[in-house]
Amino acid sequence: MESIKLKNLHLKKGLLRLLKQIKKEFRLLWTDKFNIFIALIVPPLVVVAIGLTSSSPGATMQPINCVVVSYDSNTFIEENNFTESELDDYNLKYVEAVNSSNLLNLVQFFNATEEIYAMETARNYLIAKKIKIIISIPVDFSELITWGYPGLIDCIIDSSDIKKIQANLNAVYDSIKIFVSQNNLTPQFEINGFEEFSIPEGYSFNYNYMMVLVLSFMIIGVGMVSTILTIVQEKPVARLLLTPVKRVEILTAKYLTYMSILVIQSFSLIISALSFGLYLVGSFFDLFLSLFILGFTGLAIGIFISTLSKTKTQANQLFLATFLVLILLSGIFIPIDAMPIYLQVFAYILPLSHGSPLITGIITKGKSVFGFDFFALLGVSITLIVLSFIIFQRRKYEV
Amino acid sequence: MEITETSEDAMVSVENLNVIFGKKQIVHDVSFNVKKGEIIGMFGISGAGKTTIIRVLTCQIEKKNWNGNVLVTGLNPSKKANYSKILSNIGYVPQLELLNLYFELNPMVNVEIFTSTYGMNKKTAKLTAEKLFGILDIPKDTWKKRVKKMSGGEKKRLSMAIGLIHSPKVLFLDEPTTGVDASKRYQILSYLKKLNQQLSTTMFIISHDLEASLICDKTAILREGRLLEFDSPQNLINSLPSNGLVARISIENLDQEIIKTIQKYPSIKKVLRVGNETIEVLMDGFEDNLPKLMKFLFENEFKVISMSRDTANFRRYFQIRIQEEEEKETKKNHIELINEGGS
Repeated sequence: MESIKLKNLHLKKGLLRLLKQIKKEFRLLWTDKFNIFIALIVPPLVVVAIGLTSSSPGATMQPINCVVVSYDSNTFIEENNFTESELDDYNLKYVEAVNSSNLLNLVQFFNATEEIYAMETARNYLIAKKIKIIISIPVDFSELITWGYPGLIDCIIDSSDIKKIQANLNAVYDSIKIFVSQNNLTPQFEINGFEEFSIPEGYSFNYNYMMVLVLSFMIIGVGMVSTILTIVQEKPVARLLLTPVKRVEILTAKYLTYMSILVIQSFSLIISALSFGLYLVGSFFDLFLSLFILGFTGLAIGIFISTLSKTKTQANQLFLATFLVLILLSGIFIPIDAMPIYLQVFAYILPLSHGSPLITGIITKGKSVFGFDFFALLGVSITLIVLSFIIFQRRKYEV
Repeated sequence: MEITETSEDAMVSVENLNVIFGKKQIVHDVSFNVKKGEIIGMFGISGAGKTTIIRVLTCQIEKKNWNGNVLVTGLNPSKKANYSKILSNIGYVPQLELLNLYFELNPMVNVEIFTSTYGMNKKTAKLTAEKLFGILDIPKDTWKKRVKKMSGGEKKRLSMAIGLIHSPKVLFLDEPTTGVDASKRYQILSYLKKLNQQLSTTMFIISHDLEASLICDKTAILREGRLLEFDSPQNLINSLPSNGLVARISIENLDQEIIKTIQKYPSIKKVLRVGNETIEVLMDGFEDNLPKLMKFLFENEFKVISMSRDTANFRRYFQIRIQEEEEKETKKNHIELINEGGS
């Protein structure tokens, strides 16, 4: 009984000290107005600036993942004389052409006559980012070609990434070109394009595209910048450790303080992005949580750097090096799939590689935040937090 | 051997303390006891082990690096479970204020940050701070200003106040007067004495500055990790020949030859060159032998410019004691060299 009381008393004292440490952190933060400016004012300002000046981006030449869903083997009933036809000679020939195209990477072929959920499965692939294009071969595909009419192909392209819409269409045209050439056909084809996850009229494609990058870069970058010096520049830490305060309390207070700042930061970013016309399919909460987890990873990296560094200069240099690696290997400049395998593994550990897909999924596809990217970021954050606690606990502080 | 009994008044008890880092022994077999309310000065040149001893007493060095029986406010710092209690019972004032104060915050907020770690309530903390600020003459108009706007002396005093804010039983001060100009140095020492008298706090002063001995009840002289002396400054001075009486003699064209000649004179215990043309002489039977020495100097036609008599201060004692140790060591090394050559 006595020992329980004593434990409770220790816990109460510890909590009280933690609260006071948090208060201290807020006071220290308040003295550094520049840091507050960077953390809370700069991100929405950048969003506003981009909202006012967003411009069109370029395109990519990587093979694009696609699936082909064929309805060609279904029975075609001609509307004019109600005659039935079951021609499907060109069905697999087109699939061959897709396979021959350097611009397309056929992930799977579905014969919709045999697989009734083919299109649903293909759409799930599209949502899950496994593919970018669903090429749908209509029921009268072989009939039209055989009877000398212009061929018809339907395709559903992922339009959540504006700069890749044209590239996706070009890849489909490439497969048709190969198909025509391989089968000595007259090059008359129509493509019925259906843009999936595209930005509706009245919203800016460019702005939405830019916002995905800006939000992820901003939240993680600011999280890092505001925390890289939090430990290394607090000189009286060594002296504080000569009081009953515990190291774990000091570091926890820092995390909690910056997390509360992050809540405001994420909220203000979303509000400013929405007020400038961000098209959001998913929920506000999902977007908020995605920014929060991304920013939290930034905090974890920043605090980790701060515990690791012995001087301010070291911390600044480490930050710069880390941020450069994060950006270069984020998949924005070089697609991750185009990297060597060892770099791909490394790139997938880095938080920014998950930032854009996570935010894009929520903004344009209405996906839930709780997916692979979210848990990958959570995993990276937890690893860094554990490491920072271990380093801080073992670090030698002497006055 | 575990210390089981200590006097009620004993604030710090150290028995056979050895500190070892890797293969290097930093502190050798140090023992001393400190009573409640005493001011202890720990003096020694760099590398003497002063700071290391204090780090053991303030739980900054893990047990694996030291052995011996140590009690701080009756608690053993070798047990991690005691850390929190020991740290509640002690205060620490580092050499540099920037290690003790948040310069961007005002003194009262600094007080709040440190008192909160001891679980003190805000009201008690404020009252204690006001009392300490009063004793230390920290101007009221600076209490709400940022620390960085305070003068050097004010920062130093604020740092002392922060060290004492939770009314610790023992206060450790690291070089409290180093880097401070002469007039301020005495001011700081007098503030420390005032605090000691009014609060009965036991104080440990680690210093290169021997002037700090002026306020010390006991002084510890350390050299290369060994405790040479631990006694009151007066007792140490009295242990010198003729209770520390010295003759200060100025001689024209003073050189090593003249010093050697004087050293050979019977009853002379020590000749210290303290200036270009000045020496201080310690001797047995000071009153009888001083006139004889003067006669000897005149007979040898040394041009004596002036002569005065004085009592040695702690600085002089320290100088003599360290010199003695150095001479002992040189002799020892010399003998070892001869022995090695012989074998």
